[in-house]
Amino acid sequence: MHSFAPPALLPALPELVLVCSAMLLLLIGVFRGEGSSRLVSWLAVLALVVTLGLAVRVGLEPRVSFYGMFVTDPFAAFMKTLVLLGSAVTILMGMRYFEDHGIARFEFPVLVMLASTGMMIMVSANDLITLYLGLELQSLALYVVASFDRDSPRSSEAGLKYFVLGALASGLLLYGASLVYGFTGTTNFAALATAVSSGGAPSAGLIIGLVFVAIGLAFKVSAVPFHMWTPDVYEGAPTPVTAFFAVSTKMAAIALFIRFLVEPFGPLLAEWRQIIVFLSVASMILGSVAAIAQSNIKRLMAYSSIGHIGYALIGLAVGTSSGIRGVLVYMAIYLFMNLGTWAVILCMRRNGQMAEGIADLAGLARTQPGLALALAIFMFAMAGVPPTAGFFSKLYIFLAAIDAHLNGLAIIGVLASVVGAFYYLRIVKVMYFDEPLAAFDRPISAELKGVLLVTAIVTLFFILLPDPIVGPAQAAAASLFGK
Amino acid sequence: MIIQTIMFYAFSAVAVASGVMVVSARNPVHSVLFLILAFFNAAGLFVLMGAEFLAMILVIVYVGAVAVLFLFVVMMLDVDFARLRSGFLRYLPIGALIGFILLAELILIFGSWELAPSVATAKAAPMLVGGISLTNTRALGDLIYTRYIFAFQTAGVILLVAMIGAIVLTLRHRVGTRRQSIAAQLARTRAQSVEVVKVRVGEPVDGV
Amino acid sequence: MASGFWGGYALPTAIVVGEVIAVVVPLLIAIAYFTYAERKVLAFSQLRKGPNVVGPFGLLQPIADGVKLFLKETVVPSGANRIVFVAAPMVTFTLALVAWAVIPFDYGIVIANINVGILYLFAISSLSVYGIIMAGWASNSRYAFLGALRSAAQMVSYEVSIGFVLVTVLLCAGSLNLTDIVMAQQHIWFCIPLLPMFVIFFVSGLAETNRAPFDLPEGESELVAGYFVEYSAMTFALFFLGEYGNMILVSAMTTILFLGGWLAPFGVVPFTWVPGPVWLALKVAFVCFCFLWVRATFPRFRYDQLMRLGWKVFLPFSLLWLVLTAGVLTGMGWVPVR
Repeated sequence: MHSFAPPALLPALPELVLVCSAMLLLLIGVFRGEGSSRLVSWLAVLALVVTLGLAVRVGLEPRVSFYGMFVTDPFAAFMKTLVLLGSAVTILMGMRYFEDHGIARFEFPVLVMLASTGMMIMVSANDLITLYLGLELQSLALYVVASFDRDSPRSSEAGLKYFVLGALASGLLLYGASLVYGFTGTTNFAALATAVSSGGAPSAGLIIGLVFVAIGLAFKVSAVPFHMWTPDVYEGAPTPVTAFFAVSTKMAAIALFIRFLVEPFGPLLAEWRQIIVFLSVASMILGSVAAIAQSNIKRLMAYSSIGHIGYALIGLAVGTSSGIRGVLVYMAIYLFMNLGTWAVILCMRRNGQMAEGIADLAGLARTQPGLALALAIFMFAMAGVPPTAGFFSKLYIFLAAIDAHLNGLAIIGVLASVVGAFYYLRIVKVMYFDEPLAAFDRPISAELKGVLLVTAIVTLFFILLPDPIVGPAQAAAASLFGK
Repeated sequence: MIIQTIMFYAFSAVAVASGVMVVSARNPVHSVLFLILAFFNAAGLFVLMGAEFLAMILVIVYVGAVAVLFLFVVMMLDVDFARLRSGFLRYLPIGALIGFILLAELILIFGSWELAPSVATAKAAPMLVGGISLTNTRALGDLIYTRYIFAFQTAGVILLVAMIGAIVLTLRHRVGTRRQSIAAQLARTRAQSVEVVKVRVGEPVDGV
Repeated sequence: MASGFWGGYALPTAIVVGEVIAVVVPLLIAIAYFTYAERKVLAFSQLRKGPNVVGPFGLLQPIADGVKLFLKETVVPSGANRIVFVAAPMVTFTLALVAWAVIPFDYGIVIANINVGILYLFAISSLSVYGIIMAGWASNSRYAFLGALRSAAQMVSYEVSIGFVLVTVLLCAGSLNLTDIVMAQQHIWFCIPLLPMFVIFFVSGLAETNRAPFDLPEGESELVAGYFVEYSAMTFALFFLGEYGNMILVSAMTTILFLGGWLAPFGVVPFTWVPGPVWLALKVAFVCFCFLWVRATFPRFRYDQLMRLGWKVFLPFSLLWLVLTAGVLTGMGWVPVR
């Protein structure tokens, strides 16, 4: 018999707590039957918050467990915080929406929790097998929640489209992973790093494997040219689910992208930088240009998220500690402005129907000035107008790019954000200068109000107190390069 | 050794041929049957490699369960393959291009393939512990429940998600269907269901 | 080279062929007389006489039936898918025979003593559904198709609990090899400590072989004859043989897993004089008799009841019992280590 020491469970404690509470909530939901969705939702939020606390505490120092398959460090803790925040807020925002649409079921919070578990495993992956399993756990739950409104053809279509393309992406990723394994003989990230740095010139097979894994991950972050599913899925899925896609999923996928490229393949920076630069430039340009023609705000947000991923990838292309810090700050701020925007979109209801056109916002400043002000703040932030947080997030990225002599990339980034500013500011113009339509339904639920307030404050006053975000981001980025 | 070699080529050739037939058969049911044949040959290849446990699991899980349900669905659906194939020629050039690129890459990769020197020993290592040869069921178990316990448990959670997903997307509680309640049937007593009535000739019975 | 060829290839091949014939021929005779036994047992339980005209006590009846089916014309319906239609009975019959490759008749008397014997049996029994659905689909007949659908759903459902029963047995035996499993029952047959699993296995075996009270795929009162309604002559005979072969196979599995295979009931002198294969045959015959006994006794299940029993009763119960068995074995330190 082999004698194996039992693995240390502490590093995976947050995941264990989350997955166990998800199963517990599933049982509660099943035994209490219909109508337990509100209770389960609140308990899910509670579990996510507890997990968040644990993740932050556990991630203070680097720990590796499960025979090298799983790692926690400040980087993981930072990204897990963002993921869990996104998930908790999604559940909060979704409660009213699902009740109003008659699809309030307790499975939604449970699936969100399980998806979050998958995302946390992705963030903590230290092995190609862990990477793939985390990704599949997350994706499978997402396919289901995308078609959660199962009687709506659009929602079903969104789920199916996401499933088919997601399966294709997983296939490419697995193909790449098998090549990487075949050419290095290991799936462990630490062992891969040694294999890559010691072997001299990398073999063609390893590079092609790397490219395929990168393509698979690019699908998940929806970087151009692997973005085709994004607008349709964002438009078709129920709005809280779309918010979840736009926020938590992106956090986990970008964290996985960073860890995969920087940790095992750090020595091959020169090889993968070209790929990331291409993805980044294409995403920024397409995100800015294609969004101009959109009239549906959910589609607009889809293109916006594609563009934002482009900016974030600049930081990854830089590949230094300051570049990664830039990405982390960018993603944190992206989380707040995006959650805020989605909260506003969830408030856009007339006579119990969702109003998703940009034209529906006309004259909002006169009918609901508070809501209009909040959306204006988020739009300015997205466009990167100072002094909002969005400006600083772009600033960190561009500065890192210039430091690394990627001036061209920085210039394209600035140009793209100028073009992008057009459609963000158009929304502000529609709200403030067009003739008002009928007001949206009131009252806005307390949960949405709370989300709006907090996100708006963070977005607006980041300039005064940047440290709670930038400090941990710095530590997280350093932890990735410290090893 | 000659028999093994012959069997290897036989299994591989049939597997590849049936793979081709899966995509080119006109009748979807035939496609699925060829898929099953391909699974069988893959299982045969596993046996040749000495991985008998994997071979049996492949047959049990894929052929015995997955493909049955697959066949089930394909038989019930009226798939019009002619219509599905209508775009085939239009997409052929781009499909062929991508296929060609992948092929070129594969050739490139195999050009640079070399077996790591440690592979031969690594292949033999886990099967021999303390000089005793293990059956590969035990060797797999030794690894799955120790070294790969995290992956194993995560895979379990993935299956749970799949189950929840299937239920969420398909389970409907129809109103108006009569379900059998066995507990209620068993709890019925004679007093609740039978009433003895004295019937007099020429007079109506109450309540009937 | 010639001696190498003869000694290295031809002789082993001849030995294997001989072994196969030694197993298959008695098996086919057993199948033939099992049909006779069924008619007799049913007749006696219904206070009739059964076949008694052809030969003494009707003993030549199965031969007469066989000759009749052999001489009749095979009809292929005009709308049928010819290849699949003809292949389906062959699949059923072949699968019923190949499973016997791993059945041990005594210590060391087995065609292929493979490590994963129990998985092999499970794989083969899970494949037998193919013959049925292929037949149902290829016949291009509604009755046949309905029968095939029922049978596919039924067999897949009951396989799940059979799988859990097998896992419990192999936990207790510590091996997937059938000879090892029988040898692990030297002290006590598994049907005693695992009595509930024995019952589940037997009932699931009834469902797996589409036997009464789970014979919905044939359901002669509603589906005429179910999946083989369009079959005639030799193709029908192959189905018939395959089905009875499967029944004997499931009986043999039950015997090996729970009733101690070829072992004598008591390891003392008068019992150990009887050779192992005879004990095995006696036990298999007893289980086969139980199949017939059940058919004579119980009415057919309704389809929803059948599904309910499989998924809501057997599956949770066998899962629970599996956990319990594993817990007891670990807790008491009884885990068999080989």
